[in-house]
Amino acid sequence: MQIRTLLLLAATAGIALGDIDPRGPLPETHRTNGSATLSAVDAVKANVLRSTATLVDEKGGHLIATTWVSDDGYFLAPASAIVKPEKDKLRLPEGRSFPFKVVHRAPDLDLLLGKVSDLPKTQAVNWTTSRSLNMGQWLCTSKGGGQELRIGVISALRRQIPGMGAALGIRMDEDQSGKGKGVKIMGVAADSPAESAGLKINDVIVSLAGKTVARFQEVHDIVSRRQPGEEIEVHYRRKDKDESCTVRLASRTKVLSNWDGEDFANGGISIRTDNFPEILQHDIPLGPEDMGSPLLDLNGRAVGINISRVDRVTTFALPMETFWTKVQQWIAEDRKPPQPVVVEEVKKAVRVVPQPVKSVK
Amino acid sequence: MALPFCGGALALEGPGGMANGKATLAELLKVQKTVQDMLPGVKPAVVNIQLRGGTASGVIVSSDGLIMTAAHVSEEPGKDLRIYLADGKMVRAVSLGLDKTTDAALAKMKDQSHPWPYVPILRDTAQVVAGQWCVALGHPGGLDPKRGLVLRVGKVVKQTANSLQSDCVLMGGDSGGPLLNLRGEVIGIHSQIWQARDQNMHVSMAPFLRSWDELKGSQVIKVWGTGSGGYLGAATELDAQGKVAVLEVITGSPAEKGGLKVGDFIEAVNGTQMLDQDKFAEAIRSRAAGDLITLKVQRSNATRTLEVKLGARPKEDES
Repeated sequence: MQIRTLLLLAATAGIALGDIDPRGPLPETHRTNGSATLSAVDAVKANVLRSTATLVDEKGGHLIATTWVSDDGYFLAPASAIVKPEKDKLRLPEGRSFPFKVVHRAPDLDLLLGKVSDLPKTQAVNWTTSRSLNMGQWLCTSKGGGQELRIGVISALRRQIPGMGAALGIRMDEDQSGKGKGVKIMGVAADSPAESAGLKINDVIVSLAGKTVARFQEVHDIVSRRQPGEEIEVHYRRKDKDESCTVRLASRTKVLSNWDGEDFANGGISIRTDNFPEILQHDIPLGPEDMGSPLLDLNGRAVGINISRVDRVTTFALPMETFWTKVQQWIAEDRKPPQPVVVEEVKKAVRVVPQPVKSVK
Repeated sequence: MALPFCGGALALEGPGGMANGKATLAELLKVQKTVQDMLPGVKPAVVNIQLRGGTASGVIVSSDGLIMTAAHVSEEPGKDLRIYLADGKMVRAVSLGLDKTTDAALAKMKDQSHPWPYVPILRDTAQVVAGQWCVALGHPGGLDPKRGLVLRVGKVVKQTANSLQSDCVLMGGDSGGPLLNLRGEVIGIHSQIWQARDQNMHVSMAPFLRSWDELKGSQVIKVWGTGSGGYLGAATELDAQGKVAVLEVITGSPAEKGGLKVGDFIEAVNGTQMLDQDKFAEAIRSRAAGDLITLKVQRSNATRTLEVKLGARPKEDES
């Protein structure tokens, strides 16, 4: 009927008359992470951004974010993202890049403590306890290696994330005969380590990490003993030609739950998404390249380090309690390494100490 | 041009309000406190739904155990659903009716021996405005007892006749979970996502309210000729003076019953000025059938106030 149509056609247009139309769309500036909303945290913005830098590869490609933990150049970053530290550099938000040394790697926490020596002063974060955080508490962090600020809330219970080992992201021929012809790839998962390294269906894996393989179980055993982030050398045959590549393993949990690329993660996920002693979960919109940035309360006090982008709704951060005591120790040891002479004296002293024990009874 | 929605439109329900466009730390902290105070009361009503081949979410909205969820979750009436409560306990429910055009669906707990914890729904859907704070709850990725429910705090980005868009980021497994306002009322049910992080779509309360009896009665709605909301039954045009003029009033329609006449000029709906057709049409469509609205009309140079109870759009178009 004509009358009804009139009303309907009119309704499809929707013109914004006021500053903000109550029907929307809400201007991007006024969304949760738009500039008008973020002006609420202007007071802490500069300090948050200054406490962050970027780790870049030799070509200047953004690898991961970092957090300054001292005023003399010590920083933390996710270890699984850093494969060739001798070639990588640390880039400040204003653009200058510096080489760094690896002070300590902690695979259990997926943290790397590094140090840049050529900087006069770095802006360390101030830590505060994360124990008082509850679901719904606002937090902020830096995005883009100290370019922008983002906010979000604690979105789930703090907990341990068990490890499921590493995976290549392939389906294999389950032929058990083991006639020494290698193991055929029957499928490659979307966004998986295997896909990134260029492995394809029908490639036949001949050896892994130097070991010849003939059954799929052998491939599985070699891979599952390793950790996400580790590199593994793969020799394979493609159309009667011998080829090889290096595959960077990722967490098994995630590779297998995203077999067909249904994850919809906007910008991808981290190589390592599990095997953490304890995590805080939040809903701040970040990418895997933003991991390593500090997680702070709205007063600008750090409560943890972003460690893993898991999926579209999930980011994990390590609470400061899991690492800060250890990090201070590693820094202290690096500043004052034990002297060889001192070690000798201690050993001698120990040898002298034991005395015949007298019974007290 | 005058700004018909300034002030009023930004008087956000619950905490908030960014009349000058910029948020303050105090506003964020107020949102935080409201959300944290609200959560313990709301959590027991948000459930994980498991059925063959899928995991989703839902929310209990009445003490007799009615559950709102998404139509693509239950897919058909009469299905057995396993419901996991916040305390980890598993109970049984059965799917009722669903509206395939809007993705609205109802289910009901089988156990009727005790009252269920529930959250109220927002009945006046027109109260929802772009820019207001909102809270999404659900079980993204499925049930994870150690993680529990997952919370997201964000803003309503857009409202259409049957849906809401928010920047509360959703993913698989959230479907059927509630979007709440800061008063703890259900304003939407998680339905679908587009790629961008602020493209999260929720079914608004309008389709539920419009078809409440049909949904409770286990009917399947496949075609809503138009997918529209409340129905008035009057055609209007914007005349040369910029007034919304009534051209025709359908016999037997809510408009006629409420006393609207051809030649009336619509000035306001529930106190909100109507400066063009689009605003008027949306003011009607965004409300649910059964809603009572107050029309301010000009007739023969006098202003009158009419009370009209909106109806459901006639279903003769249905196939």
